[in-house]
Amino acid sequence: MRYLKPTSIHEAADALESSRGTILAGGTDLCVYMAEGVCQPETLIDISGIDSMRGIETIQSGREEATVRIGAGTTVAEVAASEALPDCLRQGAQAVGSPQIRNLGTIGGNVCNASPCGDTLTPLLALDARFVLRSTAGTRTVESEEFFTGPKQTVLDPHEILEFIELPSASCARASAFRMIGNRKGQAISQVNAAVSVAIVDGVMSDVRVAVGSVAPVPLRLAGLEELLSGKTVEDLHPANLRDAVLEGVRPIDDVRSTATYRQEVTVALVFDALAACGGQRSGQDEGAGAW
Amino acid sequence: MVIRFTCNGRAVQVEAEPEARVIDVLRDGLRLTGTKEGCGRGECGACTVLLDGKPVNACLLLAGKIVDRDVVTIEGIAGEDGSLHPIQEAFLDTGAVQCGFCTPGMILSAKALLDEIDTPGVAEVEEALAGNLCRCTGYGKVVDAVLAASRRMAPGADRGGE
Repeated sequence: MRYLKPTSIHEAADALESSRGTILAGGTDLCVYMAEGVCQPETLIDISGIDSMRGIETIQSGREEATVRIGAGTTVAEVAASEALPDCLRQGAQAVGSPQIRNLGTIGGNVCNASPCGDTLTPLLALDARFVLRSTAGTRTVESEEFFTGPKQTVLDPHEILEFIELPSASCARASAFRMIGNRKGQAISQVNAAVSVAIVDGVMSDVRVAVGSVAPVPLRLAGLEELLSGKTVEDLHPANLRDAVLEGVRPIDDVRSTATYRQEVTVALVFDALAACGGQRSGQDEGAGAW
Repeated sequence: MVIRFTCNGRAVQVEAEPEARVIDVLRDGLRLTGTKEGCGRGECGACTVLLDGKPVNACLLLAGKIVDRDVVTIEGIAGEDGSLHPIQEAFLDTGAVQCGFCTPGMILSAKALLDEIDTPGVAEVEEALAGNLCRCTGYGKVVDAVLAASRRMAPGADRGGE
């Protein structure tokens, strides 16, 4: 096995182009695949030595809208601890693995592994994130909603590296929340997770984004529900009002972690709970069901 | 290749492939067998070491990543004279050790926590130990031990005992 450790993104892109190697970021998934023999790369390209891919900063270029830029090599622990980032993304990062996994694993790795249950993916969808992909030809930017194409599958070409994740500052200004349910609090893989972000002015919701994970082959936005909620007040939120629009959007399966029926019911509850948290309401309330 | 890094406060160099796992480099290369391999896939935390002060799984860490960095194993936290670290003392006094296999990882996760927070609450201790599995004692006495250690280590505490 060859082990390359480039120190710049250009060097990494060149190495990837010439070797068609496997990118190693934090290694928390790849090392497990290697130990199990399901992945036996001829060349590993360790990108942890590329300083420009670490950290979180706000970029203001010309007249364009400001963006918050997260280096793909930023650890999940650093994302969870960053006060510059919206609540849903920090909460999603905090739900990943264990302290040890969060200290090694990167947000870029979580994105590129593209597990349908990845806990940072739904927050990124809810925040209108864009992914900046680098190759020797330059960069291209892909919307998070278009990035995931199936379980562990993305639009990433074999010669591309996820370099940055960008969040429009407008989406960072909205209220947001993440909720997940798993077998235990620590070290648990989500049976369902949900992230919402919403602008609330005088109690009225707009710019609603609802993303759910582990209920389809890819993390999903629930467009029908977003439309339904837009213009409604947070006081009118009730699980019964969300139920049809949630169930219309999700396609869960029975698997080792959960059943489709359970996932459907829990998705409704988690989406409601996250929306209620954005509205500053006490979650789990069972009154105030109004007909929309 | 020669892997150079700081291990338990000393500069070391060891011959290893960069894709070798750090747990193997520590146990086989440096004979530091206090770091245990449980699951080998980042779930049990028995192989926990501190990398630049933060707990990580040595079974998921490749040798190429620790070059020029600081690694602390369970062998590195006792005093120069061999006296136990207050967290080790607290684990013994509290009965937080049964078979002992998870103990090195538990103690290093606890050390990372207490290096950050002087007086953590129960929830903070539980969160810090969420990546360390024990199949013998249950976690009650482990949490008690970390809380006891935090009291002993707090500034101005009487190190003579509880």
